[in-house]
Amino acid sequence: MTGDTHYDLEVLAELAEGLLDADTARQVREHLAVCDPCGERLADLAAVREVLAAIPTPAMPMGVALRIDKALEAERAGVAVMSSPEPPARLGVVADDGTVVPARTRRRRTARRWAMPAAAAAAAAAVMGGVTLSTLNNSATVVAASPSASASAQSQAARAYDLTESDHNFSDGDLKEPLNEYLGPAKITQPVAETENQVSKCVDAVENRSKLKPFAVHQALYNGSEALIMASWRNEAAKQIRIDIVEPFHCKPLRKAAVGRW
Amino acid sequence: MNSPPETPSQPVSDAELLMAHINGDAHAFSEIVRRHRDRMWAVALRTLGDPDEAADAVQDAFVSAYRKAGSFRGEAAVTTWLHRIVVNACLDRMRRKSVRPVADDELIEAAERDTPLPDQTGEREVSLEVSAALKLLPPDQRAALVLVDMMGYSVEDAAQVLDVPSGTVKSRCARGRAKLAPILAHLRNRSDLSRVSSAKGAELRDG
Repeated sequence: MTGDTHYDLEVLAELAEGLLDADTARQVREHLAVCDPCGERLADLAAVREVLAAIPTPAMPMGVALRIDKALEAERAGVAVMSSPEPPARLGVVADDGTVVPARTRRRRTARRWAMPAAAAAAAAAVMGGVTLSTLNNSATVVAASPSASASAQSQAARAYDLTESDHNFSDGDLKEPLNEYLGPAKITQPVAETENQVSKCVDAVENRSKLKPFAVHQALYNGSEALIMASWRNEAAKQIRIDIVEPFHCKPLRKAAVGRW
Repeated sequence: MNSPPETPSQPVSDAELLMAHINGDAHAFSEIVRRHRDRMWAVALRTLGDPDEAADAVQDAFVSAYRKAGSFRGEAAVTTWLHRIVVNACLDRMRRKSVRPVADDELIEAAERDTPLPDQTGEREVSLEVSAALKLLPPDQRAALVLVDMMGYSVEDAAQVLDVPSGTVKSRCARGRAKLAPILAHLRNRSDLSRVSSAKGAELRDG
């Protein structure tokens, strides 16, 4: 840069952060030595830092602190309810040759996010296996491998979608992969009524927006926050799905709906 | 249920509290919250610029930290980990509200429209003005500026919180400041600020 050209704010800000290479930095400094307008702008930049630093940082208002205490108390109560030693039911997949192979589990759960008594869990897994059957592709059939899969199926009767969960932290990149690679092997969820209601509320909300019925709902993380990831058919023959991702508390979308594959 | 030992001379560290929480101590996490809530509040409020949103974000963050305490690996400080959860909660909220990138001419327009007379700007007005200006930045730049320029963390600490290289933090700060400069430049003439900024300018100019 020579003559009466000036440097823009971004270059000057990069100079201040030491981000320019040595040659460029030297040129800019030489220019600054003779150019008042650029010197002024550099001072404006420094002023930004000073103004930001001068803003006082307030303490958390008591109301907010109390609210957080309450939320954590509820969380504690939830944890007490859900502790149970019974292992979750595992699914097996019937391969083309008729043998039953264990479903893959992608990752081990490190923490349970959703309160859920495990006894009900095993039962629902069996039921969910039946539901999964209709939505997975026809070459594989899912059966429950749990012996305790006896009791019944009222909760699921009304539910038209598979509900699974994992600790996977989904990113936009994952959505480019066929989604059943993640959801297929995931653990079936047996939600308590409260969770079930919440999920169903969010499914309704998504259905209202998309006018498509989600057939698979997955509790996991999306970019680090808790999320419900829902798949609805756009074109079942072509295995093309619409993916909606919402936060589980108010059902607000965490991202725009994506077109994905199953 | 064992409560943390009450020895004022040897306070329990954050990491010990978190371990106690993981091991079932019902009160350990409350103590962590009590220690850090003001800072977390400040970060969220500055990042989101809205007290209601900030309250939701901090609550979500603490609940999420409570739940995933088991995944804390101890390679970062507990405070860094908490900051990361809070900042991510804020970023998620901002992205959800689909903050649209603002064009340069809009920034200039905003600067012209919002410029109050310098001697009429009290502390509260400055605070509101800065808050409004920050909202014009993309979330990543805003978060970096809040941590480094407003909260006074080192670039290295901010890089750990944001989980990006230091150079990325520096360039986000640089780009953010470049966008804010035209909007906030008039505040430079406030008596309590002008002194510092011109000294800094001179120092930079002289290398």
